[in-house]
Amino acid sequence: MSGRFARGLRQTLTVARRDFTATVFTPIFLLFLFAPVMMLGFSAIGGLGAASVADSGRDRAAIVAIVPDALARPMAEADTRLRTVFPRDAAPPPLATVRPVGEPGAQATRLFGAKDMDVGAVLFGPLERPHVLYARRFTRSADYLALLAAEVLADQRLGARPRVDAVKIATDPPRTSQGSRNQAAFVAVFGVFFLTLFLSGQVIGTMAEERNTKVIEVLAAAVPLECVFLGKLLGMFGVAVLFVCFWGAVISQVAALLPPGAAAAIGQFAPAVGSGWFALLFAAYFATAYLLLGSVFLGIGAQASTMREIQLLSLPVTIVQVGMFALSSAAAARPGSWLATATEVFPLSSPYAMAGRAANAPALWPHAIALGWQALWVAVFITVGARAFRRGVLQSGSARPRRSR
Amino acid sequence: MAVTAGGLVKRFGGRTVVDGIDMAVPRGTIYGVLGPNGAGKTTTLRMLLGIIEPDAGERTLLGQAHPRDAGDRVGYLPEERGLYPAMKAREAIAFMGALRGLDWRTARARAGELLEAAGLGHAAQTKIRKLSKGMAQLVQLLGSVVHRPDLLVLDEPFSGLDPVNQEKLEALILAERDRGATVLFSTHIMAHAERVCDRLAIIANGKRRFEGTVDEARATLPARVHYRPQRPGPAVATALPADAVADGDGWRFALPPEGIEPVLVRLIGAGHGIAGLSIERPGLHEAFVRIVGQQAAEAAA
Repeated sequence: MSGRFARGLRQTLTVARRDFTATVFTPIFLLFLFAPVMMLGFSAIGGLGAASVADSGRDRAAIVAIVPDALARPMAEADTRLRTVFPRDAAPPPLATVRPVGEPGAQATRLFGAKDMDVGAVLFGPLERPHVLYARRFTRSADYLALLAAEVLADQRLGARPRVDAVKIATDPPRTSQGSRNQAAFVAVFGVFFLTLFLSGQVIGTMAEERNTKVIEVLAAAVPLECVFLGKLLGMFGVAVLFVCFWGAVISQVAALLPPGAAAAIGQFAPAVGSGWFALLFAAYFATAYLLLGSVFLGIGAQASTMREIQLLSLPVTIVQVGMFALSSAAAARPGSWLATATEVFPLSSPYAMAGRAANAPALWPHAIALGWQALWVAVFITVGARAFRRGVLQSGSARPRRSR
Repeated sequence: MAVTAGGLVKRFGGRTVVDGIDMAVPRGTIYGVLGPNGAGKTTTLRMLLGIIEPDAGERTLLGQAHPRDAGDRVGYLPEERGLYPAMKAREAIAFMGALRGLDWRTARARAGELLEAAGLGHAAQTKIRKLSKGMAQLVQLLGSVVHRPDLLVLDEPFSGLDPVNQEKLEALILAERDRGATVLFSTHIMAHAERVCDRLAIIANGKRRFEGTVDEARATLPARVHYRPQRPGPAVATALPADAVADGDGWRFALPPEGIEPVLVRLIGAGHGIAGLSIERPGLHEAFVRIVGQQAAEAAA
């Protein structure tokens, strides 16, 4: 038995080595490796375009307070004070003050038609009971104008504003908060999903080469089909690991350049099992997620006889992945629920859900069971895929049954 | 025995492609599986190798009940050749050796030696897609022997080869036998089988019709006698066997079971004399036609 196992392992690794080198040592692989650069490039270009469009609108946007001259200056000063707490992108449009002319409601309505600015909200009337006319998408600006009125009124009633010298002390909130764990759980689920979405779908077409070149006949005679399937899966997994390692190294270098505030934010990332175990489990669940989905895709793809069929299969494959992600995300938000348990047990969603569990619960033993469970299903999927291939494809693959003459 | 098969049956859909084939291939021999197209040769070989499982019957390969257990001691050249087009010739041979248990260093070294010996040393670093069909076929053949198998299974190895490479292949098959390996190959070209086979099986419509040596196959037909009288005439026929037919200035007939002597005594006694006499043993092709039937033989041709 051990001899057969050793031979199977050696043959598996031989097939894996061939697939790995055949994939990596080609110019096309560089295109694959640097695909994220292109993706980021296109995203940056798209983002810049969108920001430019947004900025062009923002430059002309304004909120208006129709107030007597005596209130114009206090209004502007209050606006300056309140704006300091807003992040740049969340600040209301700039404030303009306008002297009342005629009936205030009609004047406010006319302001929305102004050619030199896009008015989002207009305050008019006494500060004790101001009216705010606003465009529907400027609800927050309307609230801001009301707050501004209250601030100015408070200044007038209190007289001089008391001086407060606050002592600001930075501190880290407790790392065991459920919020930070949920955040870590979602990051884990999304991380495994993101990586497998990009990488495991490629496995679907890997048997096509063997079928098209008839090499499958040579392989099937020399190697058990289960070893062929596993070898091809491991070969492509090696490619995926190379990809992840490369970009992991790049990202870690970029992270070293982050400002202290960003680094501190990352420091708030607090998985329940601890960062070291979490990293290990994340890697393990990425591996099992890849192998599980890859083995299913490989088995399905091996049945396809043309590239068109393989392309058609890509959509359901992606839908399955997104479905597993959706289930696992929901489970990560409700640790301990029946949904979380079901998602942890169902083989295809188990790696995602268990990665989330590593962030939510400190116990390690469930992960040992889960990894064994997932490995068992990898073996099941490979065995089923190989048998289906032998029965469905090899029966007539190379030596098609000929018609009686 | 290197290979045994008992009552092998294979059905595709409702059609029986191999119907109870028995086979016994002695070690160290060259064994041919002959048959017309669609006879079930390839399916039989694929069952023997464990690529597909038989629906009924048993087989052993090098003493192993499951063919896979003998995998590292078997070489196989399938009917439809298959190589990775982007692989270099030497790497392709080494890969097949590695699948069969060689470590990569040994496999590469042997691949280089085999290519040199086959006159393909210059193509060692050439990608398969850039080789001619014949050269690629030779590379695959070398890949099937790189691990020095005890059993070499070749499915229609001569098809697609030019006469020079066919000769090379015959030499390689003989060399493998001389090395001690058993060679089992299928073909529908009788000339190759006649030249190299020690034993053969003839199958048609999924059934084995003959098993034995080439001589035994040929012996299924009587030898043909060509007789030319000194004094031709219609009366000669009376001294000849009933199946004699005129052929130019002579006659042809099957060698009688009791031999040629009684016929000669009658011819000389009747005064016809003997201007010429030859006895021709039938070739394997004639034996094949008789065994599988004219229609099947035409299909093979």
